[in-house]
Amino acid sequence: MTTTMSIAKREFRSYFDSPVAYVVICLGLAALGLVFFNYGGGFWQVDRASLRQMFVQLPRGLSWLVIPVVTMRLLAEEKRSGTLEMLITLPVKDHEVILGKFLGAWGLIVVLIGATAIYPVAMFGWPWDLGVLDFGPVVSGYVGLVLYSGAAVSVGLFISSLTDHQMIAFFITFLVLFMLHFLGNSITLSVLPEKAEFVLSFISFDTRLDSFNRGMINSRDVVYFMTITIGCLFGSFWALERRKWL
Amino acid sequence: MIEAKGLSKRFGATRALDKISFEVRQGEVVGFLGPNGAGKSTAMRILTCFISASEGSARVHGHDVFDDPLAVRQRVGYLPQRAPLYGDMSVLDYLKFVADVRQLDKSTFKKSMKEVVEVCGLAGVLGKDIRTLSHGYRQRVGLGQALIHDPPILILDEPTSDLDPNEKAEVLRYIRQVGEKRTVVLSTHNLNEVEEACARAIIISKGRVVADGNIEDVRARGGRVRYNLMVDEQEGLTNGAPALAEVAEALAVLEGISSVKETPTDERAHAFTMLGTKSTDLRAEIYRLCVDKGWLMLELRRDVQKLEDVFKQLTRGDERSDRGRDLLAGDDELEDDEDFDDEDLDDEDLDDEEADQDDADEADDADEDDADEDDADEDDADGADADKADADKKEEE
Repeated sequence: MTTTMSIAKREFRSYFDSPVAYVVICLGLAALGLVFFNYGGGFWQVDRASLRQMFVQLPRGLSWLVIPVVTMRLLAEEKRSGTLEMLITLPVKDHEVILGKFLGAWGLIVVLIGATAIYPVAMFGWPWDLGVLDFGPVVSGYVGLVLYSGAAVSVGLFISSLTDHQMIAFFITFLVLFMLHFLGNSITLSVLPEKAEFVLSFISFDTRLDSFNRGMINSRDVVYFMTITIGCLFGSFWALERRKWL
Repeated sequence: MIEAKGLSKRFGATRALDKISFEVRQGEVVGFLGPNGAGKSTAMRILTCFISASEGSARVHGHDVFDDPLAVRQRVGYLPQRAPLYGDMSVLDYLKFVADVRQLDKSTFKKSMKEVVEVCGLAGVLGKDIRTLSHGYRQRVGLGQALIHDPPILILDEPTSDLDPNEKAEVLRYIRQVGEKRTVVLSTHNLNEVEEACARAIIISKGRVVADGNIEDVRARGGRVRYNLMVDEQEGLTNGAPALAEVAEALAVLEGISSVKETPTDERAHAFTMLGTKSTDLRAEIYRLCVDKGWLMLELRRDVQKLEDVFKQLTRGDERSDRGRDLLAGDDELEDDEDFDDEDLDDEDLDDEEADQDDADEADDADEDDADEDDADEDDADGADADKADADKKEEE
């Protein structure tokens, strides 16, 4: 476990050693603010003491920009530059490498998610008090976000473990996450037959996150995100082991 | 300390390693030699458990590389080719990270850090980011991370490639220094380095061990000593000036001389290069011959074959067949593979193998005449080999 944490710590720190972390956090928060207050009428016109918009838009923003950028280099870059050889020939087990990298990247995303807490606090606590906020859905929304980000990061890690090129990892991760959001969206649903609609909305991130945003922590949704996370971690582990035999 | 038995590794259809076996004993500094693509790195990656062998087994410090990779890695310090390090970390952070993963406690880390900084000369760059360092310094950092846990075994993959001559000498100096207490395996294609830093050499070509032994033995495997002789062509000691043919003939019948070749010279003298097949010194014989015949000797020099020559001789056939392969296409390759399969790595077999390859080379020679003319000595060696090969064949029949 200590080895895993050493790797995770290094990974997490490396984001802050390069501009990645600062750019991601600053631009992420700025973009969120823009969307939150302006998109689709924005917060003011809805005129409700609710952060629903934030919990709907935040995972999309994360999936389309932040997570692909954060995860693309995890293994692809290490493979390309050869540092993977250095890392793996240290006394580490392969699963510790995968888990360490996952935790490092997830850590950064969780920090970013944590930073968005400035919205509910600043708007409904101190210094402004814009109304009486129901904190239940906010808490469950954050639980959902953390679970969702774990799944999305593991998807990115898995894709990064399959290629040597971080740009390829970026685009494929982006595409996969994009689809996972919009599978259950009304755009696809209007075209497809009912059964397909049911299946698609079953595996869609958007529908899964919806219940969290309404203040409901459903065990099925929790299991869903955890299954994706664990499955993708196993996949990455397998991809890493593959080097031995190819 | 390190024991490899019949290691093979295939990457798809190519065979990177072909049943190589070798042993490295405690305290040895062994040079892994071979042309690029011979399988040095593959062998090292198997020994450090980065990849698995397709066949065969290896034990490092008593632990099997397949069954107990963690124990092996704990006892090995490894520097991969080109020292891939995390460029965004500072040297100190990087070494801390490695120590962290290796689970060194603080006091041990401090102690070994002091030693590593001293041995590798890192004091001036500890705070710098690795990406800003020169290649030489990166190599030093790589060596430092391999030494941080004071391992009994060091495996270094081309530690001196891409370095300037000064840095090379430095790195070799470190290796000698750290090799005093440790078992070191280093790979390189630079022979001077092996001669400088190692007591023993293992030469690999095309995934096979073609020579293994201490440097002197390997050198002797070439089995040839070269004599350079110059005799005055204008005056003699007693009988007047000798004719070229006369001298050549007399030299050729000397026992232990396998070939005599006239070499061009600017001086007014007959110059010859002779190859001695035995390792005994023929200088006295040659001198006596000159005195007996009354020739005026201007120069006599004995060149023990350099490791480089042995290396060329042992690995050249393979490279040649590589170059020929384009022309000869598929069938040839099939045959080759069959050869690989039922081949033992005993020395005798090797000689046969070389001979076979030399035969094949003769066929290719036509294309390569130009290149070969530059290298008269090599041609000679070739000829001798071919002769030997023919003789071997007759014996077999």
